[in-house]
Amino acid sequence: MVNLTIDGTQVTVPKSFTIYQAAEQIGIKIPVLCYAKKLLPFGACRVCLVEVEQMKGRLIPSCTTPVTEGMVVTTSSDEILKVRKTVLEFLLVNHVIECPVCDKGGECELQDLTYELEVVTNRFVGEKFDHPTDESNPFIERNMNRCVLCGRCVRVCDEIVSYGSYSFVERGFETKIATAFDRGLDCEFCGQCVSMCPVGALLPRPFKFKARPWQLKHVDSVCGYCGNGCTVTFGVKDNQVQTIRFNDKNGVNDGNLCIRGRFGYSYVNSDQRLTRPLVRKNGELVEADWEEALTAVAEGMNRGKGTGIISGARLSNEEFLLLKEVAAAAGTTNLDHSGGECYKGLTEGVQQVLGLSASTGTFPQVEDADVILSIRSDFYETHPVFGMVVNQAVKRAGAKLLVVSDKKGKFTKLPNAETLLGKPGTEVNILNAICAVLLESGKAVTEGVAGLDELKQSLTDYAPARVAEQTGVSVEAIEAAAEQLAAAEKGAILLGYGLSYTANSRELGIAAANLALLSGLADQDEAGLYVCGEKANSQGAIDLGILPGESGLGVQAMLDAAARGSLGALYIVGEDPLTSFPDGAKVEAALKGAEFVVVQDLFLSPTAQAADVVLPAASFAEKDGTFTNAERRIQRLRAGIKSPGEALTDFAIFASLLEKLGAAASAATPGETFAGLGRLNDAYAGIDLNAIGPQGVVWGGEHLQPKVRNLVPVSGREPLTTRYQLITGSALYHSGTTTTHAKGPLEAVPEPYVELSREDAAELQLAEGDQLRIKGNGAEIRLKAKIGARLPKGVLFAPNHFPGTGLNRLYKGEAAVVVELNK
Amino acid sequence: MIKEFIQGLSITFKHLLPGHSTTVQYPKVKLQPSDRFRGLHRLVPSHDRAKCVACYLCPTVCPAKCITVESAENEKGEKYPRVYQIDLLRCIFCGYCVEACPVEAIEMTGNYELANYHRDDFVFDKQRLLNTK
Ligand code: SF4
Ligand code: SF4
Ligand code: SF4
Ligand code: SF4
Ligand code: SF4
Ligand code: FES
Repeated sequence: MVNLTIDGTQVTVPKSFTIYQAAEQIGIKIPVLCYAKKLLPFGACRVCLVEVEQMKGRLIPSCTTPVTEGMVVTTSSDEILKVRKTVLEFLLVNHVIECPVCDKGGECELQDLTYELEVVTNRFVGEKFDHPTDESNPFIERNMNRCVLCGRCVRVCDEIVSYGSYSFVERGFETKIATAFDRGLDCEFCGQCVSMCPVGALLPRPFKFKARPWQLKHVDSVCGYCGNGCTVTFGVKDNQVQTIRFNDKNGVNDGNLCIRGRFGYSYVNSDQRLTRPLVRKNGELVEADWEEALTAVAEGMNRGKGTGIISGARLSNEEFLLLKEVAAAAGTTNLDHSGGECYKGLTEGVQQVLGLSASTGTFPQVEDADVILSIRSDFYETHPVFGMVVNQAVKRAGAKLLVVSDKKGKFTKLPNAETLLGKPGTEVNILNAICAVLLESGKAVTEGVAGLDELKQSLTDYAPARVAEQTGVSVEAIEAAAEQLAAAEKGAILLGYGLSYTANSRELGIAAANLALLSGLADQDEAGLYVCGEKANSQGAIDLGILPGESGLGVQAMLDAAARGSLGALYIVGEDPLTSFPDGAKVEAALKGAEFVVVQDLFLSPTAQAADVVLPAASFAEKDGTFTNAERRIQRLRAGIKSPGEALTDFAIFASLLEKLGAAASAATPGETFAGLGRLNDAYAGIDLNAIGPQGVVWGGEHLQPKVRNLVPVSGREPLTTRYQLITGSALYHSGTTTTHAKGPLEAVPEPYVELSREDAAELQLAEGDQLRIKGNGAEIRLKAKIGARLPKGVLFAPNHFPGTGLNRLYKGEAAVVVELNK
Repeated sequence: MIKEFIQGLSITFKHLLPGHSTTVQYPKVKLQPSDRFRGLHRLVPSHDRAKCVACYLCPTVCPAKCITVESAENEKGEKYPRVYQIDLLRCIFCGYCVEACPVEAIEMTGNYELANYHRDDFVFDKQRLLNTK
């Protein structure tokens, strides 16, 4: 700790603090322009100049100067103000002042400073900037005539996003921020740079000229896409979400978002939304009122033969509770959610080994981890903002990043990253081999661990040399990974799962948990094992048991039963299985075989088109409730807008349906329902809804210790040896099928594609954008080819978000599909 | 005392003489208001469009909240008011809008004859405001 005096006030702060931070701590506000809390100090603008007695005679920037013992600082005097004013005058010499038409006006830091320091005239004159505006992409407008060269965009894109779009070019008065070869911005469009820019140089295009900042009502809620659970703050005007506002005060994401959260909100305003219930009459879906539709649903569910309920994982916790009540009222235990296909397996695997069905730590704990092992998922694609956390750990804390995957991604490119690139579906083999090395070398933590002998026995099949041969990962890499994990003081194993990839889920959960135990990661006080579900409330669905009850059927069994004609009704809530589930043919047969199908959704999805009754539901922006994210953080959703037409929240629909089924909802509003969640899961008991503050509440505490320590033998699989194999997954830009209704993601990735390596493309004489015929599992589809360096030879990757591609005719849930390719 | 009394009254009588009345025979006779009079608003044209750049300062400053602006982008990529409307029934003629405008796009004219028969007729849209003389 260091003692210093600022404006006559004594203050004691940690050694690592800068003068600016020390002043902030005692409530003294020093003006800044280039400084940003989450970025490393830069010292570009000189607005934050202060005087330090010990360095009399010159002014120093407070944002970069570390505190020293006994410093006496003056933050404001006539001279300081004069210099600050001059700095601003310099900045305004070539700044094109067009506040009336600049969307930043009203929240522009330059405007505010100019006003505050009363810069009413400029003693200097010079030529104004005259750069062309970069409008080469649909998301971000770059108007460099307004740039103050603070470098925040350059730094955030490098330090946090790790994309590296921008750099300073030219010198002196000519200095500007440019993209590669000044060709215009073409990046992953996360919009972090927009949120950091203090002026109107970087602006969100979808919001162009839409409103002034002060006209927007701010509503803090949670992003409805992935399990990262970022806080999104709606900017609402005229009952529409006009934009997503920067907010680094709430939540776990520090104001960072990915393209989906920042630019993918438009689907809530879409005119394609369902606004009235639809009931099938004479073979046609026609509009009906709620009374008629709900009566039909209740009748359909009561027709005998039983009902199966399949839910998506984007319902709120409160809605899940009501859904369980609906299932009970309908007398069925056939209840499952889409995660039942994938994430459930993962949590069950971890449960067997550690007695937990959730991540052990929180996201911020990864920021200063020293070793991170990411399995299968490139988090930049599945949980992008968590990916940014990993990036910060690597770049700032110098963490070692290990990636076990079947394709390369952004993680692979990070400094210090070592990718163990295996054949598709062989991750378990690789993890087993790492465990084998740990045990062999005696570095494994085995105290108080059960099942050691059985595991050792089973691992004889996974000697590194053998696995290396199977998977293509070198023995040295496996050994090095084991060594690093054993040496980790604060390690993290990350595992993400989603509908787009369902194979091996339980096995991988077990293998990762085994590794967490043996490497000692599970027994750390922080970080540890992270299991991340795909959707916004995947964790909530597991916590609250949206799973088959006693003698109930799971998703696959329900679909089978329906296809056989032995299930009377299917009630599908917030999911489009026809598009997103593996084995689309089975889903289709089930929809045909079921006597009565109800679909509750936002859009008339392919599944909804096959339904007998379609109920229009509300989007996440229209409801109150809570989500539980992938680190167990319970956060509050708040309605920002009203639903279009007669659409109702799932909560309201379930409540009315319960009445029709002769029961009553246990509580009238989502707020009152929250208290009831404790009945379903002890971890939720005792949490007061009103105590859920801006940072949410992490159930079970910041870190969970394993409840049991059972090593479980688990077998991997032999890789396919065919020339071509297809894997599916999620692409950044999209999440589930919802984003295909959202303008932003659609503009970035408008159509389905299949990605393959340069080598394969050359062999097939394929050019970017050519149509490729892919045959496998008795089906054939055509997709546009995208050629890249991410995939090893022989492996193809297709994202699963798009309806109508028929991808799930080929893909039936296997780790990799044997395919034949034709032009 | 009587002297002062007569003096005063003489002024009164002087005003009774023909040609000394201050009553204006409106509407036969109309007064020319001063330049600073705050009457009906006028949107200033510039080239082929209203000069207004839809900055939202006037609706923000307006204490009666009677100005509606909706901004949009025109073919040239400029910001312009797709909607500009003043509800004169609510306007209190304070002139704050004129003061707030950074581009001098809105003025107040001397037009004070604003009576009308229907409520709707008091809503002045962009075209009407551009047509104001
Ligand atoms: S960047 Fe700020 S100061 Fe510059 S034109 Fe925009 S609002 Fe005005
Ligand atoms: S949008 Fe994201 S990736 Fe693109 S330049 Fe900005 S910060 Fe970098
Ligand atoms: S574009 Fe914005 S963030 Fe980037 S240097 Fe210029 S002013 Fe700073
Ligand atoms: S999609 Fe996921 S990572 Fe992206 S903003 Fe939403 S919650 Fe965050
Ligand atoms: S203040 Fe002037 S430029 Fe701005 S909206 Fe009003 S009239 Fe238009
Ligand atoms: S804020 Fe300190 S130099 Fe810019």
